[in-house]
Amino acid sequence: MIRIDNLTVRFGGVTALDAISADFSQPISGIIGPNGAGKTTTMNAVSGFLDYQGTISWNDEPVDALNPFKRTRWGLRRSFQREQIADDLTVLDNLQAIADNLPGSRSERRANVEQAIESLPISHLVNRKAESLNAYEKRLTDLGRCIIGNPKIVMLDEPCGGLQQEETDRLGELIQKIPLLTRATTLIIDHDVDLISRICAETLVLDFGRRIAFGETSQVLADPKVKAAYLGVEEVAQ
Amino acid sequence: MPITQSAKAGLAFALLAFVLLPVLAGGQWVKIFISTGCFILAASGVAFMYARLGMVSLGQVALMGVGGWVMLRMNHAFELPFEINLAVAGAVTLMFGWLLAMPALKMRGLYLALITLMAAGGLEVIFSTFRFPNGGEGFWGVMPSVAAPFRRPFLVSDDTDYLRYIIAAIVAGFLIIELHMRSAPGRAWAMIRRSEAAAYASGVNVVYYKAWAFGLAGFLAGVSGGLLAGGLGLLDPATFRASESIMLFALMIVGGSRGWLGVVIAAALYRVVPALFNDWSIDADISLIIFGAALLHAITTAPNGLSGQLTDLFTKEVKRT
Repeated sequence: MIRIDNLTVRFGGVTALDAISADFSQPISGIIGPNGAGKTTTMNAVSGFLDYQGTISWNDEPVDALNPFKRTRWGLRRSFQREQIADDLTVLDNLQAIADNLPGSRSERRANVEQAIESLPISHLVNRKAESLNAYEKRLTDLGRCIIGNPKIVMLDEPCGGLQQEETDRLGELIQKIPLLTRATTLIIDHDVDLISRICAETLVLDFGRRIAFGETSQVLADPKVKAAYLGVEEVAQ
Repeated sequence: MPITQSAKAGLAFALLAFVLLPVLAGGQWVKIFISTGCFILAASGVAFMYARLGMVSLGQVALMGVGGWVMLRMNHAFELPFEINLAVAGAVTLMFGWLLAMPALKMRGLYLALITLMAAGGLEVIFSTFRFPNGGEGFWGVMPSVAAPFRRPFLVSDDTDYLRYIIAAIVAGFLIIELHMRSAPGRAWAMIRRSEAAAYASGVNVVYYKAWAFGLAGFLAGVSGGLLAGGLGLLDPATFRASESIMLFALMIVGGSRGWLGVVIAAALYRVVPALFNDWSIDADISLIIFGAALLHAITTAPNGLSGQLTDLFTKEVKRT
């Protein structure tokens, strides 16, 4: 379970996240909201990329004291809106680049990489340079990097961005396998509400840095406040 | 570990140079090739930093000067063998590279380049003020007239043997870089180049691995400076001006930063072309015009430098036949 408690992020005078609290108890949960709502800021705070107030923990293990690369070593994995794999490395080396920094012996690290390769349909890609991959294959590699070494938290920032519908469906199925392959609690940001409602049991909705709804995905999506935020209209006075 | 096509070609080239170059080159050309070889080794340090980390270092030739200074200082102060002096020169320059890098490690791009350039400027002043040790008294060890003799490596006393020694050192240097590329540091560097966020998300300690890269580049600069001191017996401050560091970096862009051929081309342009012009009684400064044109050519049409273009041409020809 990922517990976010009173998370506040300020950029100068702008409050990007205003006292967000949420307990993500399901294996896969979503974060949605209009552009600029604070979704990626939330992920960057969990990654330790920016200063924040409040606490973030997984199964009562707080991560606040760890710097970004130590969070990865501890068990945090994430992808970015644009895939972040090194073009001049092979797919195998891109996976190995994470395994290199994880605790454990050399053979354990190798086993971690092999397990990730076996878990996803990427075994035919391992010796290809990343620059020769198409968008879907890059996203697959990114996903492979996120499941290496039995992570504790996996965060995917628009994992299906720029993909076609059929590829999105296939990647969605693979994302649903993450709880079977690892012990991780997974968080997903996406604009694709279909995808979110299909694979996320719980969803947090943000707007202007505030939490406007959190709970079971179907209920959240039916909430008039959420609809208002998405349609960009004022909440109807009740 | 698989041997790539490029590595095979490089080893064959090195072997050919090892056997033929000292035989074919006569007189002053042996000295020119010795100096070219030293700059190949130094350029390889800037090239891997640029290609793999995307970091611009404009202080490599100045760091060579540090290595050369330590080499000469050791040579004239103690009776130690050449290799030990060379190792000390490499180690001191490595630490010097670290020291320079400390303020720069949290910076990227232009700021990093500027800091290395400032350092090169500072070293230029120090070198021209205190000059290089030539066997004199005291810490700076400079005497006004002739220089004391410089001890070459065991069994490598004449210039042709020393040229072979340098070629072997270049191969060793390239192998050290390649070994890094294929192991954890190389992968960490590639992630840093992609973005620091990507590196952090991979668990890479960015500051540590950047410092490692600076250390390796500094070590290569120090060793090449030490070898240059061994080749010439004495060093001239003019060799290590800040502008020379910029020139070497620019020519590395012309040659191409990925792979051995690029740095060989860079060093050849840097040292052999002006020497050829001298030979033909053309003003050596004309080479600057050619370098400028070559840089424009590389930036506009050859992202992987001349070496990339040559390799492409070669693969096309092979496919056709």
